[in-house]
This record gives sequence, C-alpha cells and structure tokens, in this order.
Amino acid sequence: MRSKLKWLFLSGVIITLLVFPEAYGQNKFKLKPDAKGKLCLSCHDNFKEKLKNQFVHTPVKSGECSECHNPHAAPHGKLLDEDANKICSKCHEGIVPKNPKSVHKVVMEGNCVKCHDPHASNNKFVLLKAGNDLCFECHKDMGNNISKVKFKHNPVEKGCMNCHDPHASDKAKNLLKNDLVALCISCHKPDRPNFIKQHMNYPVAKADCSSCHDTHGSNKAGILYDNVHQPVANKVCTQCHEDPSSSATFKTKRPGYELCRGCHSKMMNETFDKNRVHWPIVDKVGCLNCHEPHASKGKNLLIGDSKSLCGKCHSDTMEHQVKLAEKEKQEKAAAKGRPIKGALTHNPIQEGECSACHLPHASDNAYLMNKPSFYESCGACHDWSKHTTHPMGAKVVDSRNKNIKMDCMSCHRSHGTGYRYMIPYPTVTDLCVQCHKQFKR
Amino acid sequence: MQNLKKHSAERIEHSARIKNRKTSTLIALMFLILLLPINIYSAETVRLKYIQSVYFDEKGVGMKQPEGVACNEKDLLIVGDTGNDRLLRYSYQDRSLKAGTEIRVQQLSNPIRLQINSKGEIFALDGKKRRIIRLNPDGTFKGYVDGEGIPSPSTVVPRSFKIDPQNNIYILDIFSARVLMLNPEGKFQKQVPFPNEYGFFSDLSVDSKGTLFLIDCVKAMVFSAAKDANSFSPLTKNLREYLNFPTSMTMDNRGTLYVVDENGGGIVILGRDGTYLGRQLSLGWNEGLLYYPSQMVINEKGEVFISDRGNSRVQIFTLVK
Repeated sequence: MRSKLKWLFLSGVIITLLVFPEAYGQNKFKLKPDAKGKLCLSCHDNFKEKLKNQFVHTPVKSGECSECHNPHAAPHGKLLDEDANKICSKCHEGIVPKNPKSVHKVVMEGNCVKCHDPHASNNKFVLLKAGNDLCFECHKDMGNNISKVKFKHNPVEKGCMNCHDPHASDKAKNLLKNDLVALCISCHKPDRPNFIKQHMNYPVAKADCSSCHDTHGSNKAGILYDNVHQPVANKVCTQCHEDPSSSATFKTKRPGYELCRGCHSKMMNETFDKNRVHWPIVDKVGCLNCHEPHASKGKNLLIGDSKSLCGKCHSDTMEHQVKLAEKEKQEKAAAKGRPIKGALTHNPIQEGECSACHLPHASDNAYLMNKPSFYESCGACHDWSKHTTHPMGAKVVDSRNKNIKMDCMSCHRSHGTGYRYMIPYPTVTDLCVQCHKQFKR
Repeated sequence: MQNLKKHSAERIEHSARIKNRKTSTLIALMFLILLLPINIYSAETVRLKYIQSVYFDEKGVGMKQPEGVACNEKDLLIVGDTGNDRLLRYSYQDRSLKAGTEIRVQQLSNPIRLQINSKGEIFALDGKKRRIIRLNPDGTFKGYVDGEGIPSPSTVVPRSFKIDPQNNIYILDIFSARVLMLNPEGKFQKQVPFPNEYGFFSDLSVDSKGTLFLIDCVKAMVFSAAKDANSFSPLTKNLREYLNFPTSMTMDNRGTLYVVDENGGGIVILGRDGTYLGRQLSLGWNEGLLYYPSQMVINEKGEVFISDRGNSRVQIFTLVK
C-alpha cells in the first residue's frame, strides 16, 4: 500500500514537471488573451509603421513579442530573453547542417541581424536589402570587381544565391550549394561539341573549372582569369599534359620543376646557379607551390598576394605581424593623438611585400636576402648614415660576439620584436647596456 | 549486559575500520602528492648547459654562417662552414678543443648538413648542388651518394640525410616525396613515401630501433614510421604553441627528440612518444643564446653541438639530466 502511494506521488511530481513548463512556456507572463502584442504597441507606437512592411517575422505577426523579449527585466540588451547571438537559433536551429563544409562567418557568430531584420522588412526572408546588394555590403571588393569586369557571368548578375547558400553548405567550401564542377556542369553541358572543342578534348568535367575561369567574371573572354599562362592562351595543353586520349590524361609530362624548366630554362638555370634555393621550388609540387599553372588573378600567375602566399608556409612570421599590428592599434588608441616615437612594425612586411628584402627563388645570401649585406638591404629604403652615428661596418666587431660585425641587425629585428624601434629589449637603454656594460645600472 | 558488550565491541570494531580506511586514504593521498613532483621533474629533466663556443679555424679565420655540424663517438667534430664553402675539422675531448683544420674539396660548396659514419667517413649535403658528397676520413673526395638502383622517379633532391650506427644512409628526398634507405655502399634498400597531408619536411631522424622521424616545418608536427612500416603517421599534434619554425632535429641515446626552432632560436625537447618535455635556450647574440640555429648533434657522452648560423659560430653544450 505504502509503495503504491509512493509511486502515485512520484508520478504526480513527474507529470507536474513535464506539463508545467509547457503551460508556462505558452504564456509565461500570464498576459491577458488580448494583451500580447497590442499591449507592447500601446507604448512602442512607432513600431506600428514597421508592421506595415510586406514581410513580418512570424512571432511579431502573431504578437508574440515575449518570444524574444522579456517585458520586465533581462540580462541582455533590448530586453532580449537570450544572448542576441543565440536567440535566433532557439527557433531556427536547423540553419547550419550537421557536418558543414563551410559556414558563413556571420552565421557562425550568430550575427543574424547583419542580414535580417528581426521584426519586418520589405524584402523576402525579412532581409535588410534585396539581391546582391545585401551581399556586397560586406563583400565590397567582390561587388566592385563584378560591376567593372568586361565579361560577366550571368548567374552572378542574377544573384549570388544561384550558387551560394547564405548560411552554410554541407557539400562544398565557399558556401557553394554543390561541388564546384557539379554546379558548373549543371548549366555548361560537357558533352556539347562546342564545350569539347573549347577544352581541346580534355575531360575537364573531372577537373577544377576555377583553375582557369574566374566564376565571378573577368576581363578575358571565356571568363578566364586576367593573367593566362601562354600555353593555355594558345590552347596547347599538350605542351605540359599527356594527350587527351591517353589513360593518364591530366598527368604532366615531367614532374615538379622539371616540367617548367622546359620553357623557363633561363630563369631556372639562374635560380640553380645561386648558393641557396628556396626549397619549395625543388619539392614535389615545385613551382606550383606559388604559381598557378593555367591562369591567375595575380601577376606572374601567383596564387595570391604575397602576404597570404608567403604566409601559407611562414605562418609563424605572419601571425607575429598580426599581433604587432594589433599592439600598434592599441598603443595608438591609448596615446589619444600624442605621437609615439619608434616603429613597432616594419611596413614592407605588414604590407606583404616580402620581396622588398627577400628573393623568392634563390639567392647567394643567407635568409634569401636580396643584397649581400644588411646595410645594402636596409639601405635601399633607409639612409642609415643619417639614421645613426653608431659605428657599423666590416671593421666594427660586435662586442657580444667576436665573429660578427656591427650592422643594422645588431640592434634591430626587421620582422619586429614587440618593442618600439624594433629592438629586442623594452627600452633603448636596455639595448645599449648589452655592449656598453659600464653604463648598466 | 552481554548484548551491550557485543554492541560496544561492534562499535569499536567499526570505528577502527573507519580509522583504518582514513589512514589508507591518507597514505594513498600522500603517495600521490609525492609522485606528482616526480612526474613533473621527469618532464623537465633534460637541460642544456653551455660549455663553449667555436668561432675560428686554426688560422684565425672566422666561420661564416655555418649550417652543418657533425661529431662521432671519439673526438671528431666537423663543422660545415657554409658561407666559406668549406668544412672545418676539430678535435674535442674532455672539454678541450684543438685544431680547426680546413677541408676544402672542389666538389663541395655550401655544406648545409653533415654526418660521420662509424669508419670516420664524412658526408656533407651540398646546398647548392643538392647532392650528398662522401669524403674519406682524411677529407679527400671519395664520391657522391646518389643512390644506386633507386626506383622511378629517378630524380632525387635531398633536403637532409642521416646515417645510423650500421652506416645505412637515410635520405629525405623532397622532390619525390619519400625517404630513401640506402645500404652503407649507397645501394637502394627501401623507400617510405611521405604521408598524404603534410606541409614541408625539412629534416629526418632515425633511432636505434630503426624508427624514422620527420619534422614538418610548416605544420610544426613530427611524423614517424616504425622500421618495417611503409607509411608515416603523425607522432605529435601541431607544436606551434611551443615553437616557430622547426627546421632540423636529432636524438640522444635514450630516444629523446631535440627539435631546432630556427626562427624562435631555441630547442624543443620531445619524448619518443612525441610528448612535449620542454624548451631550452633562447634567441640572442651572447654565448649560450642562438640566432637562427641550423643543425644540432649529440654524441654518446651527451655533448651537444649546435651550428649557430646567425651568430657565425658553433656552440657546445652538455646535456644535464
């Protein structure tokens, strides 16, 4: 009897716990049936105008303001019931697929209001702007390029959403709705005679279209990238690749740099004549570590700007530059307009001009420097004789190391150190007393 | 009365049991507390103690950006004086350094990696020609190590190489993305391809069991392959939090890995299972500090030689455990 009562009591508790939140959730603020949105609008008068928009967010339309806002008090701004970056996912949780291959940054950050008006708008999906204008708000460069290019890609003109998913994609990177080739061949049928002829009989439907074509449009016919490798422009694919009828169609005739050496022999011979080669040139990938084989947006068929290109391998150096730039920003803000003496960052490397000091292929000098000595390298921009009267040169021995001579790098580090004047110590005094020990306090 | 006695006996027994349990818990806790520092200590056991620096040859000519260094179990120390296109032979015993004789052979320029086999033969990787050269113990030219009978592709670009105690030669062939194993005469024995996902391999190492290790300077990771394995797998995660740009590595006789952080001017120590054990030395110009170091070697006595390229010297340390 006792155990029966116990079970009854427990069941009662469980049912209450299950049912109460449901009932509570439906009207957690115990608003009168006609109160809901109407009550809010009695104060938020200007909101009535907003509701006249063509597209109204469903909870707003049904007057369920308390779905998102707490009418009394809330720990989040705008009396939001939840963190502004999380509140949308309460209802729209399926926006990002389970194993996405790419997610839009704003979605990842929960910054839905970058694109959507949470209440109402005159654009479908309560978007802030219609069509590509919304995308080009952030992707300004892309928008500018698309408007300027001579040869436009029709689907891009019609709308970014033809190829991209605005939230996330579980099929491809860059938010593409499908694998790039699959997307392209959905319009450009690869079995059409003209398609086959244009691609010199190569089965390009198995390749990567974006290795030659700029999918957003370009100034070259066939929306090829602006800089085209001569054999591609001449449609002589067999100069580098096996014949299209071969079993290994896309295989190159020679591996690595050996293929490029066939035409670029002068440059390659000069490279190999130097004491030090940039090692990636002679690895399996070779020249293609930095250059596109077919066409590219960048000059010299470079894969990207040198900041991202060099940073692909030298990420430690580039990450250091990002930290220095951030420090510079903070210190400038703290100085409130007062001038700060001494550079924290080196302009060429901040701007990604690594080739201002280094040679990308090979050099006779250590660290692939473009000049035999640091005076000459630094002297190309800085007149060091005006910059310092400190003795330097082949006859001045560094007192810390009897086998090295004083030069710019004796006191500075060209990639920056985190200290002003790019010196390795917090103050100039700290630096000087390394050698001039008699002044050490 | 009897019941009362029995009850109090039970209570005494119970409290004794609780006391015993408490004592054993305390002992276990004490044991754990005592063990903890041992574990921490074991992770920090290896230290590099500075001994001396080598700057000049016997004629007083200074080294110029030396990148290679090698030693054997006797007293031989060879320096690859890269900037001067020559090798330097020293004798180092009981912390005494002698000579600094120049070895200059027509076939060798820009020596960037060195090894010595058990016969005293000197091997140097020529950074300009990207070829491994073999010298007799007296420093005269013996031949090239091009690898006889290497399967296709026949092009080999060695980025580094190592020689094991049995004089087998291991070549890091970056052109064909593989490690080549040659017998002491230079005949092909075996090859292991690089893993599918990697950045750029800049050095390799081999332990006494024949396990191969590769250091990826771009991904800041170590990969390994057991003696009979035909593929490499990651030994460590990305080590970027401990180092900047690792370009070479070596091992001591216990199998501890020492990774040279070129851009960071330091040495990162890893257990043979890839566990991070610590970081030694730092960037600078004074003795005991490193400025863009290149190769590092350790002998059986625990003496460490580092080619301190940016400081144009070789520094000698000893392992303190």
